[in-house]
Amino acid sequence: MRYLTVIKQCSLYFLVVVVVLCGCRSGSDQGRHKKVAVIVSTLNNPWFVVLAQTAAEQAKSLGYETKIFDSQNNTAIEADNFENAISAGYNAILFNPTDADGSVSNVLEAKSAGIPVFCMDREVNSVDAATSQILSDNYSGCVAIGKYFVEKLNKQGKYVEILGLVGDNNTWNRSKGFHSVVDFFPGLTMVAQQSADFDRNKAMEVMESILQAHPDINAVFCGNDAMASGAYQALVASGKANDIKVFGFDGAQDVIESIQNKKIMATGMQFPKVMAKTAAIYADEYFKGKRDFPKKMPVAVELVTQENVNDYTGYGKKE
Amino acid sequence: MDAAINTQNYRQYLARFQSLIALFVLCVLISFLSDKFLTVTNAWNVMRQISVNICISVGMTLVVLTAGIDLSVGSILALCGAVTAGLLRNGIELQSSNLYIGFTVLGACVAGIIVGSALGWFNGWAITRFKVPPFVATLAMLTIARGLTMLWTKGFPITGLDHKFAFLGTGWFLGIPLPVWISGIVVISAIIITKKTRLGRYIYAIGGNENAARLSGININYIKIAVYTIAGALAAVGGLIITSRLDAAQPNAGTGYELDSIAAVVIGGTSLSGGRGSILGTVLGAVIIGVLNNGLVLLNVSPFWQQVVKGLVILAAVIIDKANSKNE
Repeated sequence: MRYLTVIKQCSLYFLVVVVVLCGCRSGSDQGRHKKVAVIVSTLNNPWFVVLAQTAAEQAKSLGYETKIFDSQNNTAIEADNFENAISAGYNAILFNPTDADGSVSNVLEAKSAGIPVFCMDREVNSVDAATSQILSDNYSGCVAIGKYFVEKLNKQGKYVEILGLVGDNNTWNRSKGFHSVVDFFPGLTMVAQQSADFDRNKAMEVMESILQAHPDINAVFCGNDAMASGAYQALVASGKANDIKVFGFDGAQDVIESIQNKKIMATGMQFPKVMAKTAAIYADEYFKGKRDFPKKMPVAVELVTQENVNDYTGYGKKE
Repeated sequence: MDAAINTQNYRQYLARFQSLIALFVLCVLISFLSDKFLTVTNAWNVMRQISVNICISVGMTLVVLTAGIDLSVGSILALCGAVTAGLLRNGIELQSSNLYIGFTVLGACVAGIIVGSALGWFNGWAITRFKVPPFVATLAMLTIARGLTMLWTKGFPITGLDHKFAFLGTGWFLGIPLPVWISGIVVISAIIITKKTRLGRYIYAIGGNENAARLSGININYIKIAVYTIAGALAAVGGLIITSRLDAAQPNAGTGYELDSIAAVVIGGTSLSGGRGSILGTVLGAVIIGVLNNGLVLLNVSPFWQQVVKGLVILAAVIIDKANSKNE
């Protein structure tokens, strides 16, 4: 028992020493070179891993020290990340918010500490909180997919929509964009609308069940590419892969390959790398004295089909 | 007097088959609302979908019977699926010694199950050696295994696996899907272990009264470590099935699966304080959840309502179970 208390005390001292040392380091670092924090909503999804890593690499190549903070899709953890980044003396934050409304107070906190925040991909609902917002236009991207969808189905048929997380802004932006086109065609009927939480496995299971109820559908629109892959897997298992057209959204590597192999019809290519690089370059320009940034800079989503897929690669255009 | 005894017998009889009755009511209700529910293909469909949850839940039942809990199963499932997929796809390359080790399908699967067992063993070791509460030890493992999965996959899904491997999740044998075979074998082995072996009796004894079990000479630490190791291995088996069905290992696979399997265990009538419950009850619990998931989609119920309904079913199951155990 006694040696346990000794260990406890030792580890406590060790912790104190570590904290003090860290404190000293961040203190003496200030003024020598600038540091850029990348705060990302989640690293549990390859799309956001690409976004965060590209932002960090770009900032590093511009000569800044960088660190990636993972908010784990939780606005409270995001608040902690902001506090830590501010107190650790980061000079700019490249930010991918967890929630359009919930993240506003975090951005304002950084602003009041004099730290510029550059939003990537998702926006925060405030006009002047962030220095600049570089946003992916989910809505118009899905409008484009909707148009292609109508064309490929010849304005006629039954289809299924698989939604992402029902508590997520982008789920509904995508769904609304899609329906803003497709709902104008009375020949197209949606026989089922279900959620699969942006998850490949859930999408497969949901699709399997839907196929039982509606074996005669013509197409399925999925709110992201992971779900499109899962839905396609269910179609393969039931032998209907050639009859039912699958549409996704994101531009993930494996779906681009599936489009090349004529398995999936189309996806909406977002440009996480472009957005991340732009944000890092903006931060660099901010340090060099520039202050007039566009409040919102939309990055268009491009339609990737079996016809033009060879121009694209995972998460971007071929270079 | 006779009548009173009769009603009591009747009630006990009912209590023993409560999950079966609930399942029956559920099936009648759904088939009444959708003519697509009671078909052979849909039955296989549901069975195939729940096979992963059954594998995990069988392990969870053993753990819960010892009055423990395992929150790490979902993360272990993801890690083992990813390890198997990674080894199949890339093998191991040691650049320093210019060595490359390729893996056959069987080898990669065995490696995945070994990783799962090792993590399960570590859970048991932490719980018995350092007296860490199971909730805390396995909560730590939940995070550790998820982190290891991220490290191994670098955050990206591993796709394009061997076609032979896909057979595990999508193939049929004697007219029955392979995942159903696997979960069936798991269930039957677990029933034999709990009903017919010394290990099984010790598991119940530890959950019923740990001190009494210790005083009667049972090596409690050994049994507990064994139980957590089995739970880890079964999570790995679930990981193999999922990876094979999807033809991809997702780094975020299995998030929340621990809750699904705890739900199956609880609906099946196993007591969370240990010592009381059965494998067959858990299987029924998993089937109820599977039928519910399938039925709600078949009926195109709004995703918002689905979560409410599932929660209410779990609550109702526990309330009924509590009422029954008071009567005994």
